[in-house]
Amino acid sequence: MSMALFSSPPTHHPTSPPSLSPKTHLTRKTFLYLKPTKSHFLVSIKATDNGSGATVASVAATVEEEKKASEAPDAAGSSLGPNGSPAAAPAVKEVAQFGDPRWVGGTWDLNQFRKDGKTDWDAVIDAEVRRRKWLEDDPESSSNENPVFFDTSIIPWWAWIKRFHLPEAERLNGRAAMIGFFMAYLVDSLTGVGLVDQMGNFFCKTLLFVSVVGVLLIRKNEDIETLKKLVEETTFYDKQWQATWQDENSSKKD
Amino acid sequence: MASPALKTFVGLRHTTVENHHTKPISTKLTTHKRFVVKAGKFSPKVTGRNLRVAVVGGGPAGGAAAETLAKGGIETILIERKMDNCKPCGGAIPLCMVGEFDLPLDIIDRRVTKMKMISPSNVAVDIGQTLKPHEYIGMVRREVLDAYLRDRAAAAGATVINGLFLKMDVPKSAGPGSDSPYVLHYTGYDTKTGGAGERRTVEVDVVIGADGANSRVAKSIGAGDYEYAIAFQERIKIPSDKMEYYENLAEMYVGDDVSPDFYGWVFPKSDHVAVGTGTVTHKGDIKKFQFATRHRARDKILGGKIIRVEAHPIPEHPRPKRLSGRVALVGDAAGYVTKCSGEGIYFAAKSGRMCAEAIVEGSENGKRMVEEGDLRKYLEKWDKTYWPTYKVLDVLQKVFYRSNPAREAFVEMCADEYVQKMTFDSYLYKRVVPGNPLDDLKLAVNTIGSLVRANALRREMEKISV
Repeated sequence: MSMALFSSPPTHHPTSPPSLSPKTHLTRKTFLYLKPTKSHFLVSIKATDNGSGATVASVAATVEEEKKASEAPDAAGSSLGPNGSPAAAPAVKEVAQFGDPRWVGGTWDLNQFRKDGKTDWDAVIDAEVRRRKWLEDDPESSSNENPVFFDTSIIPWWAWIKRFHLPEAERLNGRAAMIGFFMAYLVDSLTGVGLVDQMGNFFCKTLLFVSVVGVLLIRKNEDIETLKKLVEETTFYDKQWQATWQDENSSKKD
Repeated sequence: MASPALKTFVGLRHTTVENHHTKPISTKLTTHKRFVVKAGKFSPKVTGRNLRVAVVGGGPAGGAAAETLAKGGIETILIERKMDNCKPCGGAIPLCMVGEFDLPLDIIDRRVTKMKMISPSNVAVDIGQTLKPHEYIGMVRREVLDAYLRDRAAAAGATVINGLFLKMDVPKSAGPGSDSPYVLHYTGYDTKTGGAGERRTVEVDVVIGADGANSRVAKSIGAGDYEYAIAFQERIKIPSDKMEYYENLAEMYVGDDVSPDFYGWVFPKSDHVAVGTGTVTHKGDIKKFQFATRHRARDKILGGKIIRVEAHPIPEHPRPKRLSGRVALVGDAAGYVTKCSGEGIYFAAKSGRMCAEAIVEGSENGKRMVEEGDLRKYLEKWDKTYWPTYKVLDVLQKVFYRSNPAREAFVEMCADEYVQKMTFDSYLYKRVVPGNPLDDLKLAVNTIGSLVRANALRREMEKISV
């Protein structure tokens, strides 16, 4: 497939020929040789530490650079104009295709993600994030010869929870605890009812429920607007269908 | 899955029934609703002639309506402006339509038994493994289908007129008890008048507006507007080896690049493919979306030549008023296109038939004048039968066409066999069948899981950008 623009451990430059015209292949290759000598260094140093976030960032930087570099000579080519005739379809827009040595046969090769004898799910998630980002910025043609069938459900549920849910849960629990402590103190100072007695009171329990729900649903100021819009949205279609019946009632009035 | 939707629907009807009891209305009509009296019993008899009905528009809706009316003994005229009209259309009909409308199998160009859903990151999922050997989605050419239905209506006794409907004179009082006719003005084309046509008028008792998304009948009765999507399509003739791939397969591409609120498609036609896309919110960018759709299908349509470019509006929801006096709207004119899939042919034909049936019943085979209440029965029956289908598709569109992560989750869910079975069952037979509750629960959990995962990945994507 097309060249991968970065590689963490291997020290050789990928030389698989792209399926485009030889001229551009050459130009792209020269850029490849120019850039990675220095960024490759960066990558190999960072790859050794465990901060997956940092690796992704540095790797992404090199990726963006090289993508732009290879796009520059092609910009001239594509300015011929996508006049919309697929007869001229081959290579109207030459942008680097997504490639990664761990992306094999339309899915991620989990064997290449092993770390300490177990699969490094965080790295799989990072790799998929990068692939989606790449394709979102530069959509590619879907091909029958190289079908993509990666399914995110192969990544086990606990990996998702550990990576995404736990930090958020920590934040929310922290907020709930802070609010709870402050409210308990406030109510105690105003009414003299201690914490244990507060928990027995119905009104306090209601307040507690409201604040828990509030913390869960509303995390930013924008969330209030979003919630209002969502509620309106759920009934909007029904109202459009009912419109003809409102008309019936109003015509019956006169 | 269907039961909450059904519950809400009953809720819709509850309000109107309550209103009947509280508002002071003419006793005749209360009698209708409370004792379910056969409609039209109080209408004056039409003397010396049969009820005259004009169907404006000769597409699937008009053709089906005209046939049912003519068979019911009603004097029917069908006005169609272009007898060989090639409506730009996906052309997909569900299996039930073939049975319900007795369509001959040679009308169907292709039987699609496989569909490929392609996500924004090109994850491709094949659906159709759960289809039984006799099940398929029929691909038709509109000019063939429309002509067939019109010819059948003519054979049943309807008068098919080649004419362009201009406007309609609404009688001063079209309320119950009146029988003043509607006067339709149209330009008639025949061998005598040549291309320019000749202004003609015709008087009828009832009008069915089946004239499509830009309905003039709807305008005449002040039916109001709807939001609409623009569907843009290019017919592309591709080399025969590539055409083999599309032998009985249709593709659906989703992604922000292809459409912000709809999908791009490659549908096989008789000897070429139709590649298109649509949008409601970003109509100005439709060419850009079309280019992106072609780009995504590039490898599969390489070497193809565009033979035709076409576009058409697709209604997104029913018009505020679908009925006024003795004029009813059906099909696209009423706005009966589903969300999510944008399907309209079957619903057009079915609504045409239902409206015609209500007229036949209300007029007792053409002996009595109908009134608005009789036509309302068609609306009632329609809403009751198909509301769950429309609502479910609306919910699906709202959930899964929102954003790229939602679309990725959508394609992931399509890989599930239970989803495929439910989807095809409801599409092919137009029923929302509640499946096994345990499976439904599993499906709900999986859907939420997919959505959560895709959105989590999306948040990470935002972090690495910029």
